[in-house]
Amino acid sequence: MKSKVGSGVDGAKVNRLLAALPIADWSRWEAELELVNLPLGHVLYEPGDKIDYMTFPTTAIVSMLYVMENGASAEIAVVGHEGLVGISIFMGGDSTPSRAVVQSAGKGYRLPAQFVKAEFNRSHAVMHRLLRFTQALITQMAQTAVCNRHHSIDKQLCRWLLLSLDRLDGRELVMTQELIANMLGVRREGVTEGATRLQDAGLIRYSRGKITILDRAGLEARTCECYAVVKNEYDRLLERKSFSATRQPQKGDQDVATATT
Amino acid sequence: MPARPLPHFSDPRTNCVLRAIPAPDWSRWSAYLEPVHLSIGQVLAEAGRVPGYVVFPTTAVVSLLYVSEDGASTELAVIGLEGMVGISLLMGGNAMPYQAVVQSAGLGFRLRAQVVTDDIARGGALFQLMLRYAQTLMDQVAQTAACNRYYSIDQLLCRRLLLALDRIPSGVLMMTQELLANLLGVRREGVTVAALKLQTAGAIRYRRGRIDILDRAELAMRVNSAPLPVIPTRLAPYAPGLSMGA
Repeated sequence: MKSKVGSGVDGAKVNRLLAALPIADWSRWEAELELVNLPLGHVLYEPGDKIDYMTFPTTAIVSMLYVMENGASAEIAVVGHEGLVGISIFMGGDSTPSRAVVQSAGKGYRLPAQFVKAEFNRSHAVMHRLLRFTQALITQMAQTAVCNRHHSIDKQLCRWLLLSLDRLDGRELVMTQELIANMLGVRREGVTEGATRLQDAGLIRYSRGKITILDRAGLEARTCECYAVVKNEYDRLLERKSFSATRQPQKGDQDVATATT
Repeated sequence: MPARPLPHFSDPRTNCVLRAIPAPDWSRWSAYLEPVHLSIGQVLAEAGRVPGYVVFPTTAVVSLLYVSEDGASTELAVIGLEGMVGISLLMGGNAMPYQAVVQSAGLGFRLRAQVVTDDIARGGALFQLMLRYAQTLMDQVAQTAACNRYYSIDQLLCRRLLLALDRIPSGVLMMTQELLANLLGVRREGVTVAALKLQTAGAIRYRRGRIDILDRAELAMRVNSAPLPVIPTRLAPYAPGLSMGA
């Protein structure tokens, strides 16, 4: 039974992709959207699962975790109200090697896979918006690769806090250090030490499973360049009001034949 | 394994995305494909710049790299005959903060950006295939992120050699330890030690600037798994007769 799509704080348009739908498409989508509760730890899909629904978080945050052969998992990206979970529905693959799990409880809206596929093929506006989101997601994963190789736990923790904060209203994250350690794929002690340093520096307050961000600018100053790369790309790819579907190659575009090292 | 000389002109259908183009569409697309010779170090796409072409490697291998503010590189993915360079054109972002650099010289085919965007607008067959490849690339980037978290230098090296081997069937990799260190984001000394272990185990033989892969299974065992299959299963139904695999 579908819950009515509301326009209040839990309304679907809290999700920015849904809010950006052209009016002409919205009435079709509204009829299919179903409000879902996304409790902490809820698994939307496991590696190899066929994905039946596309989920658009509104107040929840979902982690995408890559699962290694030995079962260890590492977070590769977070998705919140700026995006969607289930890109393989329109990318043509049936499944992905990642697990999608709710990292911060809240709500979202979901759509049946078949409906999304049909809309993707039918509407250029929808297709372009979903693809640009996907490119932003790839950027986030790529920067995680960089970060995991080169940057300290402190910097990674700051980046993670900032990316999560960007997907929440307010300054509070309900999160255990254990969970953060699992997400980052590091020892819990490392997170405790890092969080203590951030608290001592007056950037966060951590108590009883709740992290409150006190000084966002301070976190941004302390994190690695990866946060800015991701944020800038998300802003560029998702917030633009209009974009060209058939961009003409410009003078100055890279030319394979004459490129030099 | 003796090195085979590069052919002067390669078959575009060596590339898996091109090979999967349905037969009725092939003659139209082949008219647009231009053969290119890709030299080592050649930049196919600069970070933040829109590429003028999509490139489908056949014998060349390309690295997708992030270059940090301090000049250090991190390789995010390896692209060869299984894929294409220029997914930012496909995804509509046009540019990306990553650089595509030829890491192993060879051949490929290119398509002008306009031709690609026209096919996207039509939702054509090549577009669908490129989307499937884009997800494969995303999976490889995701795997790189996870491996960078958990793998030792030994394992990172093995994985990287396997990724190369999947794209260079001769098993002869013209790569220095310095290059590998840069791609993996580790110290050169770490690569030297790891490479020596692999040589002692009979998995590789290396001389200055050249690595011969002798025992693929030995490399795969050390990473506890095979890397992502070269021919992703989602492309397979469109490319009957392909027999390459992990």
